[in-house]
Amino acid sequence: MATPTDNLLRYRPWKGTLRNPLFGSLAMARVSLQLMFRRKLFWALYGLAAMIFFFFFYAQYLVVWLQLQAANQTVFVAGFRFQIADLFKFLDKLALNGTAHTFGNFMWFQGYVAMILLSFAGAVLVGNDFQHGSLPFYLSKPIGRWHYVLGKCLGASGIITMLITGPALLLFFQAGLLYDWQTYYPDHWREFLGILGYGAVLTVTLSLLLVTTAIWLRRTVPLIMIWAGLFALAPQLGKLFVDGLRLDPAFRLLDLWNDMYLVGLWLLGAELDETRYGAQPPTWQAALVVVGVCVACLLYLRRRVQAVEIVT
Amino acid sequence: MGQTLIDLDHLSRSFGTFTALTDVTLQLPTGRIGLLGPNGAGKSTLLKILMGLIPPSSGTGKVLDQPLGGDRDSTENWRLRRLVGFMPEAEALVPGLTGIEYVSLAGELYGMHRRQAQRRANEVLGYLGLDEARYRVVEGYSAGMKQRVKLAQALVHDPPVLLLDEPTSGLDPEGRDTMLKLVNELGTDHGKSVILSTHLLADVQAVCERVVIMAGGRIRGQGTVAELCARRVDRYRLRVQGDSKRFQDDLRNEGVSFLSDNGRGDFRVVVPAGWSNLAFFKFADLNEVVIRSLMRDDESLEELFLRSVNA
Repeated sequence: MATPTDNLLRYRPWKGTLRNPLFGSLAMARVSLQLMFRRKLFWALYGLAAMIFFFFFYAQYLVVWLQLQAANQTVFVAGFRFQIADLFKFLDKLALNGTAHTFGNFMWFQGYVAMILLSFAGAVLVGNDFQHGSLPFYLSKPIGRWHYVLGKCLGASGIITMLITGPALLLFFQAGLLYDWQTYYPDHWREFLGILGYGAVLTVTLSLLLVTTAIWLRRTVPLIMIWAGLFALAPQLGKLFVDGLRLDPAFRLLDLWNDMYLVGLWLLGAELDETRYGAQPPTWQAALVVVGVCVACLLYLRRRVQAVEIVT
Repeated sequence: MGQTLIDLDHLSRSFGTFTALTDVTLQLPTGRIGLLGPNGAGKSTLLKILMGLIPPSSGTGKVLDQPLGGDRDSTENWRLRRLVGFMPEAEALVPGLTGIEYVSLAGELYGMHRRQAQRRANEVLGYLGLDEARYRVVEGYSAGMKQRVKLAQALVHDPPVLLLDEPTSGLDPEGRDTMLKLVNELGTDHGKSVILSTHLLADVQAVCERVVIMAGGRIRGQGTVAELCARRVDRYRLRVQGDSKRFQDDLRNEGVSFLSDNGRGDFRVVVPAGWSNLAFFKFADLNEVVIRSLMRDDESLEELFLRSVNA
């Protein structure tokens, strides 16, 4: 049997052009997604997200079909007579009508699954690097610390795009095909850009937050607890203060998901009066909170990644 | 060969009030170099500087004509890290990746195109005897395989310099021999310069042509292994015939120390300053002992190391 040293006789040198470190970030993002795709839990949660998407997809189709085909008809359900037109009052609340709120609401609902999935993803994407000592592998290469952070953020943003932005764009294109596409797309260009913008806000904020909390906590369970605190507890507190105790709407700023939603609605060009809750803080305050969270994450990352010992 | 690998000129590095490296001046040609020293000697700090991860506090240096210094994320330091393949002491594996994916990722991080990195990863894993294991996840590898896959990721972009930090750490004797043979052959047959950072003298003796001994942040000795071990002028190896007990007592009274005695008349001794070899013959004559041979004794690397570290 050939020993390792026998094989080394066949060692050949390599010569080639080496690329910019940014390509290293792309490689890291690709590998991070690869590792996520190998987890069964990822596909289970992705299935759930797909169900929400298909609900919106078919409901949007159903609304248009009912409007065009059966608007004035009457149906009997369990012996009770219903006018089809009455259904629209219910469906209009979900805003399944190809408007900015359709996409805003979809991205809101999809966020529930995205939050759960990201909290599990954090340990796989980043936590393992610290826990299993993989960081020296990355940082001993000719890449900067920020290339490492960028690579991980790109991996997280890939998940967010797959779950939220991508499906929202599909809903937009579907809406155009269901209505008159020759007028729909030119008239709703703001919604298209708004989806991209809202997606960008979610991508940047959530990926930075994910990488930061994963570097801080490293393990799945504490990560889930922190994310539950940020995206389940804090919204309830905000709701309690504003809706229950009738305090200043600024308390709603505790709800980071709502802050991103307000910024997203502004980007989509949607009217604020039609939002989910009654009293909302001004959009500029929500934007300030989102930017503040991003800056805080960047400052922490700078300090934490700088401190890693490559050679011990 | 013949090119200068490392050229350091009065290099120092401090961390606050703590000085990790003091006035290090070193010029080493390409080849296989051992960096030897106990914990806290400054080896890790020196390695970090050589890799461009931290700048020196004062002094200048070059690795293969690439200057040291500046921010770790500067272009010059990226260029420096492209010249070096680093094998860390820590596990540094990416859980969930197979061997081929791990080495291929390393290639891409060094700047290779994806397909080139994959092709090269296949080649290198074959060279290091990991053909059959390449599609298994790295967490399932044995200790020896893990060390080899770490060596593979350091070698994937064919760097001129390999920096190996405790490459035999955690290996059984067979695994250690295999690793040292690989490292030796990479240096002798394939023109790689190797800097082996270790506290294991046997590894240095097996692989390295030159040794740099560090302790307390300073260079305590450097040179070829043979040169360093032959520098002792105060040690002798004696072979005597006859009852040598009184002979030994007389020598001890004159300040001679006995390093070893095999009980059959073979001694290794250290003589005090100003000693004349005629004294051996004088005391032998007095005690009716015949000196069969008297020669200067080379110091073992271990003894040299301990002496340098404790100086």
